[in-house]
Amino acid sequence: MRVHVTTLQGDLVEVRVSSEEGTTSGEATTAAETTGPNPISPEGKELIWGAGSFLVFLVIMRVFLFPKLKKGMDARYNGIREDFEQADATRTAAKTDVSKYEAALAEVRAEAAARVDKARQTLDQERSAKIAEANARIASKRAAADAEISAARLAVRDQVAAAVASVTERTTQLAVGKSPDAGVVQKAVQQVMQTGARS
Amino acid sequence: MFSTQLAIQVVEKLVPAAGEGRGFSFPPINTILRWKDVVPGINKVVIIAILSALIGTVLFLVASMKDARKAPKGARNLAEIIVEFIEKNIIMETMGKSGMGWTPFLLTMFVFIYLCNLPGIIPFIQMPATARMGIPAFMALLVWVVFNATGIKHQGLFGYFKNVLFPPGVPKALYILVTPIELISTLVVRPFSLAVRLFANMLAGHLLLVIFALLSQSLIQAETMRVFLIPIGVLPFGLLIFLTAFEILVAFLQAYIFTVLTAVYIGGATHPEH
Repeated sequence: MRVHVTTLQGDLVEVRVSSEEGTTSGEATTAAETTGPNPISPEGKELIWGAGSFLVFLVIMRVFLFPKLKKGMDARYNGIREDFEQADATRTAAKTDVSKYEAALAEVRAEAAARVDKARQTLDQERSAKIAEANARIASKRAAADAEISAARLAVRDQVAAAVASVTERTTQLAVGKSPDAGVVQKAVQQVMQTGARS
Repeated sequence: MFSTQLAIQVVEKLVPAAGEGRGFSFPPINTILRWKDVVPGINKVVIIAILSALIGTVLFLVASMKDARKAPKGARNLAEIIVEFIEKNIIMETMGKSGMGWTPFLLTMFVFIYLCNLPGIIPFIQMPATARMGIPAFMALLVWVVFNATGIKHQGLFGYFKNVLFPPGVPKALYILVTPIELISTLVVRPFSLAVRLFANMLAGHLLLVIFALLSQSLIQAETMRVFLIPIGVLPFGLLIFLTAFEILVAFLQAYIFTVLTAVYIGGATHPEH
């Protein structure tokens, strides 16, 4: 067996294999293939068995298996769909209940706020009245106390004036040797005390 | 220059080894795609198709036997996810609420195609049943019959073909172009493209996985230049893992595309104004 390699400017162009008798293996193979059946043409048994297998499979699927499978699928999907619808209905009902609850809560809150406001107003009025009453009591007590203080002050003043007049009379008697007129002394003391109180 | 010389050296080492049953060799396409009968009339692709229908049936049987009132778990959860995916992401998007009656058909179609695609990445099976033309061709033919029958049922024979050939809302002058295009598109291209799209995508994915698996094996098990070839073998192996993960997405995507287009065709036949 020989190998014939043809190159053109260093590139591989053709490879031929020949036997010693001079027949190339490519030619031998081609000859063998042309004598055999066409590889593309269908074989009868493959066609018949393939067709038979498919048709039997199709009939079984069409009549028995697919309807049963599909029925189960549809039943489950319908069940799921119903569950979804039921869940939606429950959700809607729950939302309605929540809305009602929130409305009632808002109403109660508003009522409570009104009551609180009213109570606050009442409380404010009562407090104002009590404060006014207390203020009046304090004012009357303060006036009474002021009157008492004025009375006490006047009493003490008369006593002080008498004491000062007495001291003045005695001092004048010792200095001059005779007793001054009591009316003049008292008048002078009164004048001094008024002047002193002003200053 | 150096890389080319290196590549030539690798090829010169690998190819003779392949000729002797070692190194990299890609087997003839029929040995990858055409499986020998396990018992007469039943090969690997047939077993995958039967198992796909059986697994789908068992999944929905177990799911339908569980208590539907409880929160779904396990098989029931998976089944309900698939049903909701078909209803919300395919039917409602293409046909609207009036198309809900098509759920069993589209659901079965999606599950069957996906389960036929998936073995392409399952170790020791590694063959999507849809990488052979038989199943895609039948499914596309079935869709063609179904959407045409639906159109005729809803609009009457004359009305359906009138709406197919002369789509409403198109200026009359354009019918010269549109009518032959619609005729070929609706009656020929639709089933053909449906079948070929699914088949070709799954076949391409399968071939890619085979190529990278064989390349990884031949490089990692190289008998010469091991110091050089074994580390290189990590690259296609990594890509093989990436493509395997990618094929999970492709398996789902192809099942989804097939089902969506079926829904679009049926929806279009039911409501031509759309």
